Amino acid sequence: MKIIKSFLLLAIIASLAFVSAHKYYVSITKIEYISEKQSVQIITRVFIDDFEKLLKERYNNSIVLNTNTKEDQIDNYIASYLLSRIIISINGKESEIKFIGKEYDGDVVQCYLEVENIDKISSFKIENKVLFDMFSDQKNIVRLKINDRTKSFILIPENNKGMLNF
Amino acid sequence: MNNLKYFVLSALFVTVGVFAQQDQEKKEPQQGHKNENKFKQLYEEFSTPNMYRAASGAPGSAYYQQQADYKMDLVLDDVNAKLSGFETITYTNNSPDVLNYLWVQLDQNMRARDSKTPLIQGSGVSPVAQIGSYANDYMGEGFDGGFNIEEVKDSNGKALQHMINRTMMRVEMPKPLASGAQFSFSIKWWYNINDHVNGRGRSGYEYFKEDDNRAYVIAQFYPRMAVYNDVEGWQNSQFWGRDEFALPFGDFDVNITVPADHVLDGTGVLTNRKEVYSKTMMKRYEKAMKSFDEPVVIVTQEEVVAAEKTKSTKTKTWKLSAKNVRDFGFATSRRFILDMMAVDINGSIKMAVSMYPKEGNPLWEEWSTKAVASTLKSYSRMTFDYPYHKAISVHAKNQGMEYPMICWNYGRPDAEGNYSDRTKFGMMSVIIHEVGHNFFPMIVNSDERQWTWMDEGLNTFVQYVAEQDFGKWYPDALSSGQSSYPSRRGPAANITRYMGGDQNYIASIMTKGLNTYQFGNNAYGKPGTALNILRETVMGEDLFDYAFREYSKRWMFKHPTPEDFFRTMEDASAVDLDWFWRGWFYTTDYVDIGIKDVKKFYVTTKPNKVGANMAKRYGIDEKDLVYFVEEGSDEYSEGMTSESVSEKSTSLKEYLMDNFSAAERATMEEPKYFYSVIFNKPGGLVMPIIVEYAYADGTSKTETYPAQIWRLNDKEASKAIASAKEIVTITVDPKLETADVDTSNNTWPREVKEGEFDEFKNKVKD
Repeated sequence: MKIIKSFLLLAIIASLAFVSAHKYYVSITKIEYISEKQSVQIITRVFIDDFEKLLKERYNNSIVLNTNTKEDQIDNYIASYLLSRIIISINGKESEIKFIGKEYDGDVVQCYLEVENIDKISSFKIENKVLFDMFSDQKNIVRLKINDRTKSFILIPENNKGMLNF
Repeated sequence: MNNLKYFVLSALFVTVGVFAQQDQEKKEPQQGHKNENKFKQLYEEFSTPNMYRAASGAPGSAYYQQQADYKMDLVLDDVNAKLSGFETITYTNNSPDVLNYLWVQLDQNMRARDSKTPLIQGSGVSPVAQIGSYANDYMGEGFDGGFNIEEVKDSNGKALQHMINRTMMRVEMPKPLASGAQFSFSIKWWYNINDHVNGRGRSGYEYFKEDDNRAYVIAQFYPRMAVYNDVEGWQNSQFWGRDEFALPFGDFDVNITVPADHVLDGTGVLTNRKEVYSKTMMKRYEKAMKSFDEPVVIVTQEEVVAAEKTKSTKTKTWKLSAKNVRDFGFATSRRFILDMMAVDINGSIKMAVSMYPKEGNPLWEEWSTKAVASTLKSYSRMTFDYPYHKAISVHAKNQGMEYPMICWNYGRPDAEGNYSDRTKFGMMSVIIHEVGHNFFPMIVNSDERQWTWMDEGLNTFVQYVAEQDFGKWYPDALSSGQSSYPSRRGPAANITRYMGGDQNYIASIMTKGLNTYQFGNNAYGKPGTALNILRETVMGEDLFDYAFREYSKRWMFKHPTPEDFFRTMEDASAVDLDWFWRGWFYTTDYVDIGIKDVKKFYVTTKPNKVGANMAKRYGIDEKDLVYFVEEGSDEYSEGMTSESVSEKSTSLKEYLMDNFSAAERATMEEPKYFYSVIFNKPGGLVMPIIVEYAYADGTSKTETYPAQIWRLNDKEASKAIASAKEIVTITVDPKLETADVDTSNNTWPREVKEGEFDEFKNKVKD
């Protein structure tokens, strides 16, 4: 009951000000298609504290991010989580996404994902549900740069997919 | 040397000029336009100076501010988590205007059942909902944390008419309040204290289930006078929850009754310390007043652990008295450990104080009070001597929030007492930040509701300076491998990702805080960084610091506006900064300066085509000219690289003999390499061009071209460089101090840089 309650209140009044802490739930995913490399490069930026909260609740309560130690086990969790929450279909077919790794940048954890062997893109569809299971007002911004076209989506739980046709 | 250099430079400029003219002739008929120059004065944006606010940025000759003095009796009901109060406000109308009514702020009404705060948050229906959230969202009435106003009376006990418009209450007086007159009235109120951890709030309690105790951090808890001034009239912006406050100064006498086993501190001088402190506490307190290096623990962890186990049914009343403060806050619990240390601010002794539940240890006992002391020293150097007698840092989970002399700060180790660097530096930084808020806005009292950046931005800037001091003064606070404090905000390079981001989600700094995107970057990060860049790169520390101190002193215990800040910074430094304010504060433009092209020239006595034509046209002897030939052009030949014109040109030799002494000639360096460098500016912001020229012999020279280089051409600027040594690399902003969002165009020859993704991928492979 306790957990449910805190989850709820958090969601309702999440926009209150807290100095030095961020006040909104948002991630940014940059996706770029590099045709020479036949590669779709994906960089997802998530706030460390949001992600830590999620990993604790979902996998292991003792998880602490950014401790200056090797985080192989944590990387496994992050990989399996992201790959279950980000779904990409290229040319109408669901693509296999590879988790390359992650690094920390200030209060953000930056995750690198890739779809390989894509020689052309005629349609691109992305579903991004990262952290929707944690924060009901989470927003995931997706920025695409494919075939010289750029497009941004703001994905929310009620509308978690974006599509681009060429 | 000088003359020669000039000649060379003007020759290069002539060629550029000719091209520019040809360009223009091709253009279609053009439309006129308004002054869109980046250096245009800010007359349209700024309000007109007047008797209240002078053109210098100082308070004007007729400047006034209202005063609100408070006497309050507060009672905390720990069993029911209720706070009730009886307060008497004495309001002095120092304005030249007659006031028909008074406005009082009821911030707690943001938590009332009929609050409109949830109504302005966008929301949607999720496909699934947890049982609890479903019940609470759609079925329950929710927590009622609004004010219950029991009575509003004048000093004769006669009820006053009042009307509540959400978080504001209008009070009618028996007759209008004349200029210079005073009016006293009292309000009796109570409200339910909220859980600030689970409900996310600034004021409230944290509940500790293990021992059924609460730690209270209480603020914005009493009906507070709104500001009336020359800029806004009555401040009429409602409290929605995220925004902060506009408050007049006044004196406070506050009696707070809490359970007898609580430890309490708050805004003001504790006037009955001997009544509320035990003898042991008094002894430790006296020791703390003489301890300048290490905090003295006044209530120990062991004592707190013992106190947690019982609950006193008796009460104690703590008496606090504060002069010239804009607000009042306090913290109380039987779970608070208390320590203090003395700080010497230019001969005046202040107390640095920390209060924390044991959950804050081992981090808090080690660093909180030292961070407070360090902050008071740094800020006093950057502004004015800290005028209050103490500064308190209270540990509240998940939040940082500031009030006069007291603030709440996060940073909690896990249950085993372990903590990451992120927790440690997060805690130190938030303490420095919140204690720093004593200066902005508690003393330099800007209107936070209207201009978040005026306190958050200025404070984030000084916070950066204070963090760097802290790292120097307490090297033990750093982690292994660190040589300076890892400040999150301040360094120019840390703001580029935000400023170079999607323009749809960026607002200018001059935007009301409630209405802005990316609040943290908008109101804290960008203005803080802009001021740091202004200090270190544009003005220099001496000019900036003098002006910044002048602003702080001018507006100490007063209410400044943005223009007062902008004007003072220029007035006290003789640096025209309209371009800087316009670009950084009024627009969402970003910095991107690059090198578009570099051409290399050699000088020769052999006439080139242009030179020969010119000599003929103006009847000049070809021997009286020297000629520049671009490397690789038709007229270029290998021999030119080693040619010495001063040996070959008789005219030059004669000129040098006629105009310079033998001693002067001996020190002359003959330039051999000539470069025409074209800088371009894809970014909208004008900034100085900082350029590093690296020579073939391994040496380098850095040149700064002031921002005004862009005044006539906002897109491109060119420079002719004459050098005795060959230049091998040219780098714009080599130390990343201008917040250039794209550095891939900053070098010549252009470095092919891998993208961020490939860079990381290669790194992981190794």
